[in-house]
Amino acid sequence: MKPVEIIDIDVSYGAKKVIEAVSLSAGQGEILGIIGPNGSGKTTLLRAMSRIVARDEGEIYLNDRNLNLFSFRELAQQIAVVPQDISIGFDYTVRDIVMMGRHPYIGRLASETARDRETCDRAMHLANIAHLAGSSVHEISGGERQRVLIARALAQEPKILLLDEATSNLDISHQIEILNIIRGLTGSITVISVFHDLNLAAYYCDRLIMLKDRRVFAVGEPRDVLTRETLNAVYGIDILVRTHPLTGKPYILPVYECAAKDRPYENVHVVCGGGTGSDLLYALHEEGFRVSTGVLNVFDTDYATATALDIPCVIEAPFAAISPGAREDLARCIDAACAVVVTAMPIGQGNIENIRILEGYRDKPVILLNSGGNPPFPDYTGGEAEAIIQKLLGRGAIPAKRIEEVLQILKKWA
Amino acid sequence: MSLPRKTLMVIPILICALLASMVLAVAVGPTTIPLDTVLKTVLYKVIHAIAGPATIPLDTLLFTSANSQTIVWDVRLPRVIAAVLVGCALAVAGTTMQGLFRNPMADPYIIGTSSGGALGATLAIVLFSGTGRPVFAFVGAMAATFTVYFIARKGGKIPVETLLLSGVALATLLSAFLSFLMYTAGKSLHQIMFWLMGGFWNISWNDVIIVLPILAGCLVIYLFARDVNILSLGEEDATHLGVNVEQLKRILLALSSFLAGIAVSVAGSIGFIGLITPHVMRLIVGPDHRLLFPATALAGGTLLLWSDTLTRTFANDMPVGIITACFGAPFFIYLLRSRMKT
Repeated sequence: MKPVEIIDIDVSYGAKKVIEAVSLSAGQGEILGIIGPNGSGKTTLLRAMSRIVARDEGEIYLNDRNLNLFSFRELAQQIAVVPQDISIGFDYTVRDIVMMGRHPYIGRLASETARDRETCDRAMHLANIAHLAGSSVHEISGGERQRVLIARALAQEPKILLLDEATSNLDISHQIEILNIIRGLTGSITVISVFHDLNLAAYYCDRLIMLKDRRVFAVGEPRDVLTRETLNAVYGIDILVRTHPLTGKPYILPVYECAAKDRPYENVHVVCGGGTGSDLLYALHEEGFRVSTGVLNVFDTDYATATALDIPCVIEAPFAAISPGAREDLARCIDAACAVVVTAMPIGQGNIENIRILEGYRDKPVILLNSGGNPPFPDYTGGEAEAIIQKLLGRGAIPAKRIEEVLQILKKWA
Repeated sequence: MSLPRKTLMVIPILICALLASMVLAVAVGPTTIPLDTVLKTVLYKVIHAIAGPATIPLDTLLFTSANSQTIVWDVRLPRVIAAVLVGCALAVAGTTMQGLFRNPMADPYIIGTSSGGALGATLAIVLFSGTGRPVFAFVGAMAATFTVYFIARKGGKIPVETLLLSGVALATLLSAFLSFLMYTAGKSLHQIMFWLMGGFWNISWNDVIIVLPILAGCLVIYLFARDVNILSLGEEDATHLGVNVEQLKRILLALSSFLAGIAVSVAGSIGFIGLITPHVMRLIVGPDHRLLFPATALAGGTLLLWSDTLTRTFANDMPVGIITACFGAPFFIYLLRSRMKT
């Protein structure tokens, strides 16, 4: 018996199909996220569950009972909905609005009981708005009003809570506050929520359903649904997926570039490491240079950036010094490049070969990019790296402080 | 929703004000009748009606002159009761329409009720020289309302905007018919004009019987007070909270046009009571319809009673619609301006 079971439903507005052949089920106490681009049918799917829109085909069951069999009041005892925002015509107090959540339990000829009032108090306490009970809903902030709507939903004592981008209009701290409240409820309540923010969805949801063009495109745990390939297929842009260093959940990073450009500028080789070259790699790539980089360890942040941008990279095994094979590949890259940029990376015995090799290229233009750090190149080789840098500078290598300078110099040459 | 005690006190105050107003209104007029005579006469008549004549020694104690008896019992009391009930009906229908349309500009006539009533009454005047006028007016009012309802209905739903627009459109069409009838009416024109402006001339106990169902209508609407509260959050939200919105809309439309239809059939179309009373009462008791409905009913009755008393005492019994408009419109503009400032 599943709290929510949707089997193969179609929904249309007039002649326009909005949802096609969508099936899903939500388990007891689960947080299920619905994601997908605008117009993919996310909100409509919620509206079908709360019976605001009728479905053309398919069935929806709540705990094995067909949705159509519920009366309006029965349904409101099962499902509560938190909308994105709400405009309230008249000047009700916060307590009035929360008490409206008890409506499905109060008979037409009855008025609210002590139990209704207790439930309301508890809901306001959970949503952290007990202190606002007497305030007018027109006087409170957007974040507070959203918590009022959550309290109203909790006062309904629902088995299923539907959220339609319930936090989209709020700042990040309020978003997290509200989603934490909601996550604290699970166990007893099944939550189904539409998300626009994929990172919030990845963190808070047990499972995600990704919609594309009215249909389900992918279902599963966040790490299985949020992959570079599915995101690219659904949103049509390149999005990187990483693991959040603290939570271990996936988080996504859009590559802020819509389509691959043709690359009018010549090859540039970037010598970097430890994250010192990521922004430069991105800038060069964006400007249309053909870029190569290396030698980098496969655990290096810059390596991750290079692969994400499809930049060819000479690699070495983790924690290993640069091997002769890698050195040969590096040489080939430098040969092909019109210039080499060295970033202010920490230099140790493991990667000193990266700059030592430049001593052999007397005529290759070299730019040394450091943002004014002191020492300019963190040197863990006892002065050997520093000596090489000085030598390069003496031979005409150009020091640069900012990425824009590097781009200017390179464009002049190209 | 918990009702604060302070605002709850408004209801007993309004009840006292209404009862006192009714006694006063019976007393004043072209011939002033002492208050004790008013009360004695009413008691005398009520006891007679219940226990039959000459069975009670109180009879002699309560007896007043036949002349005062006629004025109090046969002329003024029916008129006072009718004015109060029509005021109630208009105020409650206005409150319902404003809640239903979530629009403070809505009034009891907004979906063509008064135009339909006016056309029906005019037909009765033109064709049967006024015989059956209340019946014609009521039928016209309800027919107009249902026409608007069916025009606006689509797939079992009545979108509120469509309802408003079709109300406006139908009202315009009916006004054209009405103008045509007036243009061809000849000597009945005067009678039609009077009826259109609304008033309580020649009200008898028979008319009181016609307006009595207003009480029942108001009581039934009160059962939906909490639903109207929730409807003010929007239709979708109301559905989420367990309200059968489409059914609720149908019930409220039917009840409020029933109320407005009765009011129109007895007193013509009296403006502004249904628009203003809900506004004022909302300022005093807040937006909770469980309090707002009784408060507007009592206040609406009192307001129309005083307007009618004013015209029959000081203004040579001119149509009461002129009085309500003269006070109502400026007051409404004042409300509008003061709301714009905040």
